Amino acid sequence: MEMRERIIAILVSNKPGVLSRVTGVFGRLGYNIESLCVAETISPEVSRITSITNANSDFIEKVKKQLNRLVDVMDVTELIPGQSAQREMILIGIDLDQKDRTEIVRSIGMFDCKIISMRSNYCIIQVAGSREEVETVINFLRPFGIDKVARTGVLALRYKDRSS
Amino acid sequence: MEKTGAEILLQTLREEGVDVIFGYPGANSLPIHDSLNNSPIRHYLVRHEQAAAHAADGYARATGKVGVCMGTSGPGATNLVTGIATAYMDSTPMVVLTGQVTTELLGSDAFQETDIIGITLPITKHSYLVSDPGEVESTVKQAFEIARSGRPGPVLIDLPRNVMAAKCEQSGVKNIAMPKKRHAGNKKNGEELQRIATYMNRSERPVILIGGGVKLSQACEELAGLIEKGNIPFVSTMMGIGSVYTLNGFNLGFIGTHGNELANRIVHDSDFILTIGARFSDRSTAIVKEFAPLATIAQVDIDPSSIGKVITADISLVCDIREALTKLTPLVERKERSGWLKRIEKERNALGKDRSMKECGPAGAFIRDVQTAMPEKTIAITDVGLNQIWTVRSWEAKTPRGMITPGGLGTMGFGLPAAMGVKIAVPDHGVVVFTGDGGFFMNIQELATISYYNLPVKIVVFNNGHLGMIRQMQDLFYGARFTDIELGDKVDIVAVARGFGIQADKVSVENSGAGIEKMCSADGPFLLEVVVDPDTYVFPIIPPGMSNIDMIGGRQG
Ligand SMILES: Cc1ncc(C[n+]2csc(CCOP(=O)(O)OP(=O)(O)O)c2C)c(N)n1
Repeated sequence: MEMRERIIAILVSNKPGVLSRVTGVFGRLGYNIESLCVAETISPEVSRITSITNANSDFIEKVKKQLNRLVDVMDVTELIPGQSAQREMILIGIDLDQKDRTEIVRSIGMFDCKIISMRSNYCIIQVAGSREEVETVINFLRPFGIDKVARTGVLALRYKDRSS
Repeated sequence: MEKTGAEILLQTLREEGVDVIFGYPGANSLPIHDSLNNSPIRHYLVRHEQAAAHAADGYARATGKVGVCMGTSGPGATNLVTGIATAYMDSTPMVVLTGQVTTELLGSDAFQETDIIGITLPITKHSYLVSDPGEVESTVKQAFEIARSGRPGPVLIDLPRNVMAAKCEQSGVKNIAMPKKRHAGNKKNGEELQRIATYMNRSERPVILIGGGVKLSQACEELAGLIEKGNIPFVSTMMGIGSVYTLNGFNLGFIGTHGNELANRIVHDSDFILTIGARFSDRSTAIVKEFAPLATIAQVDIDPSSIGKVITADISLVCDIREALTKLTPLVERKERSGWLKRIEKERNALGKDRSMKECGPAGAFIRDVQTAMPEKTIAITDVGLNQIWTVRSWEAKTPRGMITPGGLGTMGFGLPAAMGVKIAVPDHGVVVFTGDGGFFMNIQELATISYYNLPVKIVVFNNGHLGMIRQMQDLFYGARFTDIELGDKVDIVAVARGFGIQADKVSVENSGAGIEKMCSADGPFLLEVVVDPDTYVFPIIPPGMSNIDMIGGRQG
C-alpha cells in the first residue's frame, strides 16, 4: 500500500481539551502528525483542524472511525489533492549582511513573498502558497543563511461544484 | 431558588433515575456527601474505589440502567481507573463522579490533585470538567445520554469542590445541546439489509454470531425470532452468552480461545456468518486470517468503529441492532436447512454430548450443582481465570442478564464487587459469584462491605493454590517451567471470611453436596471455599497463533 501525505479536516467543538482528545487518537493508532492547523470557523463554537499524516490508505478509514467516536467531533473528511485548495504560510528569518540585503530584496520579487520586517542585520519574509511554492522559496533562500522558519502547516478546503 | 452545585447534581441524578451510588468519600467530594444526607439516593460505602466502579458496572449489567460510582480527587479517582477500563471494554453504561481540587488550584499540583480526565481519556466514552454550578444540570444530562446511547460506555464528570459548594439559580435545562454529527445515518441501510437477507436465503451453511451488543440493545427477542424463522444455528462470543436461551437446539456454544469446540468447528465450516453486535476480539477469532475461511461475513453494529476493524466484513450495516433485526426478519425466508442442521447434529454427537462436562471436569459438575440448588432467578458473576471459563461453559444463563463476566478487559478482582452491585440492583434475584483464589484476594476487602450491608451474596472461591489459568499456559506453552504462580495454602480462607463476619465452609470439589446445601440455604452472605486440584485445566484450548480449529484437547482432524 502506498505511503503518502494524507490531509484530514476535522470539525470539532471549540472547547478546552478537545484537541488533546483528537491528537490522542492519532497517537494511539501509532501515527505521527506532520502538521496541524487549528482555529475557529465562521461559527465560533466550531473549530477546524487540518492535519497531515504520512500513511497508507487504510489510515483514513481507521482514523475516521475512531475520531467519529469522540463526542466533540462533528465531521471528518479527507482532502484529496486535485479536489481541494491547499495553502501554507511560512515566516522565514534571515541574518543579513549588506550585500545579501539588496540581493534578497531584488530576487524575492520573482516569488509571491512579502518582506514584513527589515532591520539592519535581520529580516523576516512571509511566504504563502502551495506546499511546492513554499519549498521553492525556502530552497532559494537557504544559501543566504536562514535563521528560523515558522510554518502554519497546510490549510485546505475542498472545491465545491454547483451540483454538490 | 438558589441551590448548591452538589444539590443540583443530586437532583439531576434523581431525574435520570439514579437510586444508588457506590462510592468512597474524601475532602474534595465532601460537599456531595453532605448533600446526600438530604437525598433519597442511597450511597453504598465500599472498601476500595476499584470496587465502587465494579459494583456500579455489575449494577448496570444486571439492570441495563446506568451505574453510578464516585470517588474523591487524587488517589480516589486513580483507584477507579481499572473499573472504568473494564466498563469501557464491555460497553457498560456508567457515570463516574470524581471530586476535584478547587478551580483556582487546578494545575498547581495541589494536595490530592490528579488530572483524572487526562488519565482516563482512552478508557472513557467522554468526560467533563465542570467549572460552574450553572453547568451541572446540563452536563449530567448529557453524560447520561452519552453513557447509554449508541454503543454505551463510561462517562466521567470531574467536580471541583468549590463548584459543588457554590450556589446558583437552577435554570431547569429542557433540551441538552450536543455537537451534532454530520453525515450521520447511512442512506444505504435498506439496500444492505436486503443484501444480508439475500445472502442468508441463498446460503447453505449459515451461522449467526452473537456478541455482547445484542443484550446492550435489548434485541434478544427479535434475534430469537429471526433464528426461529430462518432455522439458523447460532454461536456467540463470551459476552453474547445468554442472549438467546430458549432456542437451545440451535445453540452451538461460544467461540474462541476457550470456547466450545462445536462452535469453533461449525463457524469454520460455515458459508455465511451474520455477526450481530460483536467486534471480533482476538479471543474470539484466534488467528484472524484463518477465521471462517469459507464464509461471507455480514456485520451489524451500532458502532462504525467496530466494523471492519479486525475482520473485513463483506456486508456491513451501521444500525441499532433491534431496529436492524426488526426489519431483517421479514426479509428472511423460512427454510428447513435439514442438511446443514443434520450435519451439525452429527458433529455434535461426534464430539460427545456430555463433552462440556468432561471439559470442565469436577468444577463444571460443581457449578451445575450450585445452579440446581439456587433459585431459578439467579445471576452468576464470574471473576477471571479458569474459574471464569468453567462458569461460562457450565452455568446455563437462562436470561440475557443471567451471567455477568468481564470479558473484554479480563479484570481479576471484578467478581466480588460486581456481585455486590448486582445484588443491590436486583435484590429479589439469587446472586452467586465464582472466583479463583487469586482474583478473590484482589478485592478481598469487599467482604467487609458485603458483611456490613448484610448482602446475601453467595461467594464460591475455587482454591487451587495457584494462578490456575497462568499455570495452564506455563504448563502447555512454556515447557511446564512453573514460576511465580503459586499462592500456597497458608491462608485459612474460611477463618478470614468468618473474621469479616461472613458464614463460611470448606469442601472439596468432588465432595461438595453438603457445602452447596449449606451455602444455598443460608440466610445472608455465605462463602464456600472449594478445593480444586491445580491440574484441573480447561480443554480444549486454542494455543496462541493457531486457528479456531486447532484446539489442544480437541478432536484430531
Ligand atoms: C488484574 C489482573 N492481573 C493479572 C491477570 C492475568 N491473569 C489472568 S488469569 C490469571 C490467574 C487467575 O488465577 P485465580 O484467580 O486463582 O483463578 P484460576 O485461574 O485459578 O481459576 C491471571 C494472573 C488478570 N487477568 N488480571
